[in-house]
Amino acid sequence: MVQFLQQLINGLSIGSVYALMAVGYSLVYSIMNFSNFAHGGVIMLGAYFGFFSLTLLKLPFAAAFLLASVGTFVVAIIVERIAYKPLRERRAPFLYFIISAMGASILLENLVIATIGPTFRTYPEVFPKAPIELGPLAVGRLDLIIFVISAVSLTLLILFIDKTKLGKAIQAASYNVKACALMGVNTDRVILTVFGLGGFLAGIAGVFFGMKYTVYPQIGNITTKSFIAAVFGGLGSLPGAVLGSVLLGIIETFVAGYLSSQFRDLIAFVILIAVLVLRPTGIMGKVTEDKA
Amino acid sequence: MAAILHIRDLTKQFGGLTAVDAVSFGVPEGGIVGLIGPNGAGKTTIFNLITGVYRPTSGSIEFGDRSIVGLEPFRIADMGITRTFQNIRLFKNLSVFDNVLTACHLNANYSFADAILRLPRFRAQEKGLMAKAENLLGIMGLLGYKDLIANNLPYGLQRRLEIVRALALNPTLLLLDEPAAGMNPDETEQLMRLIVRIRDDFKLSVLVIEHHMDLIMGVCEHIIVLNFGEKIAEGSADEVSKNPQVIEAYLGTSGEAANA
Amino acid sequence: MDWTYIQGILMLAGINMIAVLGLSLLTGFTGLFSFGHAGFMAIGAYVGAWISASPASTPAGLGLPFILAIVGGGAAAGAVSYFIGRISLNLKGDYFCIATLGFGEAIRLIFNNVNRFGGARGWPGVPSKSTFLAILIADIVAVLFLANLVKSRHGRNMIAVREEELAAQIAGINVFKYKMISLIISAVYAGVAGVFFAHYMTFIQPKMFSLTKSTELTIIVIFGGLGSISGSVLGALVLTALPEVLRAFEIWRLVFYGAAVILIMVSRPKGLMGGMELTPSGIRKVAAERKALREAKAKLLAETPGGEGD
Repeated sequence: MVQFLQQLINGLSIGSVYALMAVGYSLVYSIMNFSNFAHGGVIMLGAYFGFFSLTLLKLPFAAAFLLASVGTFVVAIIVERIAYKPLRERRAPFLYFIISAMGASILLENLVIATIGPTFRTYPEVFPKAPIELGPLAVGRLDLIIFVISAVSLTLLILFIDKTKLGKAIQAASYNVKACALMGVNTDRVILTVFGLGGFLAGIAGVFFGMKYTVYPQIGNITTKSFIAAVFGGLGSLPGAVLGSVLLGIIETFVAGYLSSQFRDLIAFVILIAVLVLRPTGIMGKVTEDKA
Repeated sequence: MAAILHIRDLTKQFGGLTAVDAVSFGVPEGGIVGLIGPNGAGKTTIFNLITGVYRPTSGSIEFGDRSIVGLEPFRIADMGITRTFQNIRLFKNLSVFDNVLTACHLNANYSFADAILRLPRFRAQEKGLMAKAENLLGIMGLLGYKDLIANNLPYGLQRRLEIVRALALNPTLLLLDEPAAGMNPDETEQLMRLIVRIRDDFKLSVLVIEHHMDLIMGVCEHIIVLNFGEKIAEGSADEVSKNPQVIEAYLGTSGEAANA
Repeated sequence: MDWTYIQGILMLAGINMIAVLGLSLLTGFTGLFSFGHAGFMAIGAYVGAWISASPASTPAGLGLPFILAIVGGGAAAGAVSYFIGRISLNLKGDYFCIATLGFGEAIRLIFNNVNRFGGARGWPGVPSKSTFLAILIADIVAVLFLANLVKSRHGRNMIAVREEELAAQIAGINVFKYKMISLIISAVYAGVAGVFFAHYMTFIQPKMFSLTKSTELTIIVIFGGLGSISGSVLGALVLTALPEVLRAFEIWRLVFYGAAVILIMVSRPKGLMGGMELTPSGIRKVAAERKALREAKAKLLAETPGGEGD
C-alpha cells in the first residue's frame, strides 16, 4: 500500500510537469487547430534561461524563475510572428503550420547545440534534497513545489480564460476565429496572448524539468510525451490537458515501477495509439464535423 | 414509369437535431425531379444520404431494386449515382482535362502492374480514357479550355465542368446541388437547356436541388418540397406553386409563389 | 576534391532519394503528411542487416545475399505499414500526422530496447554491400516505377484524394484503398532505403532513425515541391549534398535546415518545382497551362465591354 501511494506521488509529480507543458499545446491547438511542435523547443529554452539566470547571473531563485518565463514568453511570440503569422495571413493549410513548427523546433534545438554546446547541465541545488517525510511516505521538496506551483498556475490560467474578457475572447476564438474577428475581436491580440501564455508556462515547465532532471538541448523530445498527454486529454481542452498529463504521469510511473522501466517511454505511445483508435478526440476533446 | 430511386421514410438525426424527417419520394426513370425548400430544409442532407456520405438514422434508399444504405460513397458512384456540390468541389489545381480524365477512371480496369510495366492493356485503355475525356469536353463545349487550370475557369464554366466530371462516371442518376447558384438569368437559361439535353443524350435521370424557381418550374417534371426536414408537398410545377403550405413555407402568409 | 569523396556524397544522396521518392508518393501525390518514415527506414535497416549479417558477428545475422536483404527489408517495412495504415488512415489529417509521429518514435524506442539487435548501442559489422552502381540502379528503378504509377489512372486517383477527398469519393475512387497503397509503397521505398543505408554505413543505431530524420525526409519532399518527382530527385541531391560539402559547418547544418524550412513554408511552400516536372512533357504541360490562361483572360477582356463580364 505504501509503495502504491509513493508511486502515486511520484506519478503526480511528473504529471504536473507534463501538465504545464501539455496546456501550452492545447491552448494553441484550440485556437489555431494545429499542433505547435515548436513548443518543445521553447520549453528547452526555458530550462536554459533558468539555468543561466541561476549560474551566470547569480539571481535568486524566484527572480531566475521569473526571468526564464518572461524569456520564453518572448521567444514564443517571436516564433509566432516569424513562423506562423505569415502562414495565417495566407490562409495556408494547417499542415504547413506543422512543418513550419517542425522547422522552428529543429532550429531551436540545433541553435543551442551549435552555440551553447550539447553537454548536459545540472541545476545548482536550490532546495535541499532531503525529502519531506509524511509518515512512511517521502515527498521530495522540489516535487511538492512543482506540484503547488503547477496547480496554482493552471488554476490561474483557467480562471483567466473563464472570467476575463480576453479569456472569453480566447474561448470564442477557439470555436471560430473568423466569426470572432467579425464580431470585432482583435484576433491578432488573442493569438498573441495565447502564444504568450503558452510560452510563459513553457518557461515554468522548462525550469522545473531542468531542476528535476538535467538540462540538455534535446529536452524538446521529452515534450513529445506531454503532447501525447494533451491528445489523451483532448487536444484543445485545457482541463483535458491537465487530466491527460496527470493520468499519463501516474500510469507511466506505475508501469515503470511494477513492470519495467524499459517500458516507461513506450507506454506513452501505446496510450497514444489507443486514443487515436478508440477516441481520437481524447477524454474531453471537442468533436467537429465538416459540412459536406 | 419505373422509379430508378426510391426513398422511404428516410430519417437523419444529428444528436438532437432531426435534419431529415421520414421523407419518402421516388425519382422516375428518365425524369427530371426538383427538390426545393427553404435553406436548412434538409435537401443537401438527402443528397449526402443518397451518396453514402451520411448513414441514415432510419428508412430505406433503393436504387433500381437494391438497397444502397450503408454502402461506401465510391461504391454508390460505381453503381451509377453521381453528384455535383453546392460549393464547387472541383480538383481546383488540376487542368480542366485532368479533372475529367481522372473521373473517367472507372472506364478502365488495368491494374497497378499493368500501369507500372506499361503493358499493352494499359496503353490501349489509357488511350480510350483520353479519348472519352476529350469527347465529353467537346460535347459540353469545354474543349477549348482543356489545358486551363480549373481554378481559373469563369464561375459558370466551373459549374459546367463539375457536371462534365460527373458524367464521366456514366451515371444513370445525376444529382445536381444548386447548379444555378450565382448565375444570371441568361446563364440559367443555358443551364436549363443543358440539363434537358444531358438527360436526353446520356439517357439518365436527374434530381436537382435549386432555389432558382425559373429553372425548377421550367425544367422539372415533378417537384418535391421540403421544409424543416419534412416533405410538405409533391407534384407538378403547377400543383406545387399553388399549394398553400408551400407558399407559407417560402413567404410566410402572403399571397404569391416565390420567384427567386 | 577526389572522386571517392564526391561518390560518397552522391551515394548518401541516392539512398535518401529512395526514401524521399516513396514519401513523395504519400505526401506529394496523395496529400498525407508523415512524421514517422524514419521508422520504416529503421525497420528496413534492421531487418536487412539481420538477413545479411554474418552468423559469426554480434549481433548475429543470417548471412544471406544482399538482394534478399533488400527484398526482406522492404517487405517488412511494407507489412508494418499495412497495420499502421489500418489503424490510422481513417483519422482526420492532423491526427494521422500525430499517429505517424507516434509510430515512428515507438519503432525507434522498440529497437532501442531490444538487445537482440544491439539495443541503444547499435549494430556494428553490417556487411558493406551498397555500391555506387547498386544505389544508382535502385534510384532509376524507383523513379521509373513512380513515374509510371503517377501517370496512370491509379496515380490520378491518388492526386484526386490529395486535391479534394470528398469529391474523389463521389467520383468513385476508393479513397481508403488508395491511401493504403500509397502508404505501403512509401514504406517499402523507405525500407529499401534503410537497407542500403545500413549496408553503406555498416553500422546502425536507433538514434539514426529519429523524429528529426523523419522530418528531414518530409522537408526534402516539400522543398522539392509537392507532386513533382523531379523535384524530389533534385531536393534529395541538393539537401543531402550541400550540407556534406559544407562539412565544416556540420553543427550548423541542422540550424540551416530548420531556418530553411520556415523560410520555405513562409515564402514559397510550393517548393523548388512547384508541382512541375522537369521533363519534356512536364514543361509542355506548364506551357499549355500558361497559354490557356492567357487565352482565357484575353477572351474575358474581349467580352467585357457591353457584355456581362465574369
